[in-house]
Amino acid sequence: MPDLTFEDVSIVYRTSGRNDRGAITAVKNVTLTLPAGGTLGVAGESGSGKSTLAMSVLRLLPPNATIEGRVLIGDTAVADLRFGELRALRWAEASIVFQGAMHSLNPVRTVGQQILEALELHVADGWRTDKARKARIIELLRDVDLPAAKADAYPHELSGGQKQRVMIAMALACEPDIIIADEPTTALDVIVQKQILDMISVLVSERGISMLMISHDLSVLATACERIAIMRDGELLEIGDAFDVCTDPQHPYTRQLAEAFPTIGDPASRLNPVTRRGEAVVGDRSRQLSDDVLLEARGVTVTYHGRGKPLSAVKNVDLTLRRGEILALVGQSGSGKTTLARTIVGLQHPDEGSIIRFRGKDIPRKGRALREFRSEVQMVLQDPSAALNPKLSIYESVAEGLRVQRYAGDEQERVAQGLIDAELTPPERFFAAIPQELSGGQRQRAVIAGALAVGPQLLVADEPVASLDASVRGEILALLLSLRDRLDLSALVITHDLGLAWNIADTVAVMYEGALVEYGTTEQVLLDPQHEYTRRLLAAAPTIERRLA
Amino acid sequence: MSGSTATLARSPRSMAWARRGRALAAFWREFSHSRAGMVGLVFLGVIILLALLAPVIAPAWMLDVTKLLDSPRFAPPSLEHPLGTDDQGRELWVRMIWGARVSLLVGFAATAVSMIIGTVVGIAAGHFTGWTGGLLMRIIDFFLVLPSLILAIVLSIVLSRGVWTIVIAIGLTSWAGTARVVRAQTLSVESRDYIERSRVLGAGHWHIIVKHLLPAVLPLVLANTTLTVGSAIIAESTLSFLGLGDATLQSWGSILKNSMDVSAATAGYWWYVLVPGVAIVLVVLAFTLVGRAVETIVNPTLRSR
Repeated sequence: MPDLTFEDVSIVYRTSGRNDRGAITAVKNVTLTLPAGGTLGVAGESGSGKSTLAMSVLRLLPPNATIEGRVLIGDTAVADLRFGELRALRWAEASIVFQGAMHSLNPVRTVGQQILEALELHVADGWRTDKARKARIIELLRDVDLPAAKADAYPHELSGGQKQRVMIAMALACEPDIIIADEPTTALDVIVQKQILDMISVLVSERGISMLMISHDLSVLATACERIAIMRDGELLEIGDAFDVCTDPQHPYTRQLAEAFPTIGDPASRLNPVTRRGEAVVGDRSRQLSDDVLLEARGVTVTYHGRGKPLSAVKNVDLTLRRGEILALVGQSGSGKTTLARTIVGLQHPDEGSIIRFRGKDIPRKGRALREFRSEVQMVLQDPSAALNPKLSIYESVAEGLRVQRYAGDEQERVAQGLIDAELTPPERFFAAIPQELSGGQRQRAVIAGALAVGPQLLVADEPVASLDASVRGEILALLLSLRDRLDLSALVITHDLGLAWNIADTVAVMYEGALVEYGTTEQVLLDPQHEYTRRLLAAAPTIERRLA
Repeated sequence: MSGSTATLARSPRSMAWARRGRALAAFWREFSHSRAGMVGLVFLGVIILLALLAPVIAPAWMLDVTKLLDSPRFAPPSLEHPLGTDDQGRELWVRMIWGARVSLLVGFAATAVSMIIGTVVGIAAGHFTGWTGGLLMRIIDFFLVLPSLILAIVLSIVLSRGVWTIVIAIGLTSWAGTARVVRAQTLSVESRDYIERSRVLGAGHWHIIVKHLLPAVLPLVLANTTLTVGSAIIAESTLSFLGLGDATLQSWGSILKNSMDVSAATAGYWWYVLVPGVAIVLVVLAFTLVGRAVETIVNPTLRSR
């Protein structure tokens, strides 16, 4: 079993043409060792160079990347291999579980065929004949807890978690010594994430495979890895025992990463998301919820009539949202929480008999009344990069709502106020900027500014921080909290992340297969869960615990 | 404070124009790096200039047969007759310059008609879902499978003869492909989150189409335009060649038709056939070069190929 060693590795991308930004150093002088049979996690935010580092192991980098220093597998330097030798090394000695299983599987071949591909390219004693290969595929699927029949399934017939299992089966196919897992659970929800992480840990420890896992989420790495390395801007900041790095970080940046995900039940993080600036934006914990009911939903049911049988996405949901209340709607993907949110803002029509009242009146469906309703209820979408038209400046994006609403007053003043409310100051600096010039967090603020400009009473935020880096996450949450305190806004925040609910929500509603299974104040639901499903969600949230050696 | 007041004084409209100006400058920088595109552009510039200056460099009397009685017929190209003469003693180069006016005019006008119909129908078919979109799609399909040359011939027979008839005939038969491309792009833009955000802000169809969809499909339409001009010029030549154009006007197609009438190819008057034929090929090629260059700039995924 070989060690994986990075010796003073630097990786530089040379850019040219239209997007010429000169030479970009993605990885700077990194020295790391993954001993045989060990597990090492690499954590960092987007752009920290962690994926580039991992891809260099199998020389999978694009041609404009140059590697300095040495990457060694055992005693062989990867850079010195001829193409044939490199091919033999890829997959047979080191394999990769790619990020986003949805896009890494070929949609027109069965998963069995795709696992077979690796076996046929790297024939070994274990699978010389067709029959032996078939047996091997079944064995691999069993290893990742999939029934053998799934070998004949096409990728679109599998759920996200099942696809990720197939990816892991493929990575294990040729009995590699090293597995590189690049964000293996990022697109999955908490319950599936826990299953996959547990499975990986068992497989790795049973077979003595060494694993390099990459993630932006420290708690994920803490569950699966013995040691953790922290990267920022291509540099290695800190490396050490997983538990020590998480609980007793040496570098301030590591502390930020570790604190970004709160511990549920920890009173310090209640209504207090961690921000980069250090100064805490503590929500006013003493405030009482008013009795002024803003939005009331009774018996809301949404059925999709597509091909085949009708599908009930939301079943008989009752919700009440008061002025100045932040309600977190929690559930797995596919639980119907986004459909419910779209129904509340009037983008999706509920079934007959559903009642949604805003300030005591049924929500309008068309015409002028709908437009006026839209100035009261605004939505913030998950991915801020997609929610802003790349061709429009921030000013125009923020002013769009005002123009649509035929706002009569001083547009520029209102836009500036929206930007200030969303904490983009000074606002003039952002007027002419286009979305590509802003960071992810700033873009999300711009989206929020656009929503605030029309002067809404209720914000519906669909996974507002799911696509943002950990350090930005806290700032956006703090912004939502301060909006509630300053402008008395109500918010419905949709999330799969219980920590987020603990950070900012007054009340929590847990949604499971279209129905609300538990609904109450945050403390009630998260600290004393009644329903079986809530307990499962809570247990699945990755936590930092000392690994039993 | 002076800095911030200066920024305040800029209205959003002027900011938008400034940004568009910068984008245009960047586009031009990029385009000038494409050698093939520049060759095409310069060639087209020369042809357009010649066509515009036709009355100056070749006065109209040079086409009047009654004043050309002394001029030799079927004179091969020589110093005296650079491109040779035709069956009535007219200089071929004069006919070519005057013909360029009609051919280019028809090419541009027909393309404009085709692009406007194609863009409007394409965006509508992509934006309005359900019954309306389905109906529009069937209309597009109808025009796609229709043999366009035959429809154009029928149209130019039914309508009165003339340049504008040909423009309408070509325009009406060539928009369906553009509409399909525009619809595909509209559908992909329609699924972006910023359209959804716009809806939540209360936007109606008109706002979404004008503010988000149109700017997103326009680059594609522009690239398509330069490619369509070439095929419109060919279509014009074909119709004139078939004798459906205005016989009193010079166009490259009608020169070809005249050469055919006097059996120029079999009688050995090669210049009579070759000159208009090669001219059509070169102009269409030039448009294609420019179009491809524009396409690679507006569609970055083509760049590495």
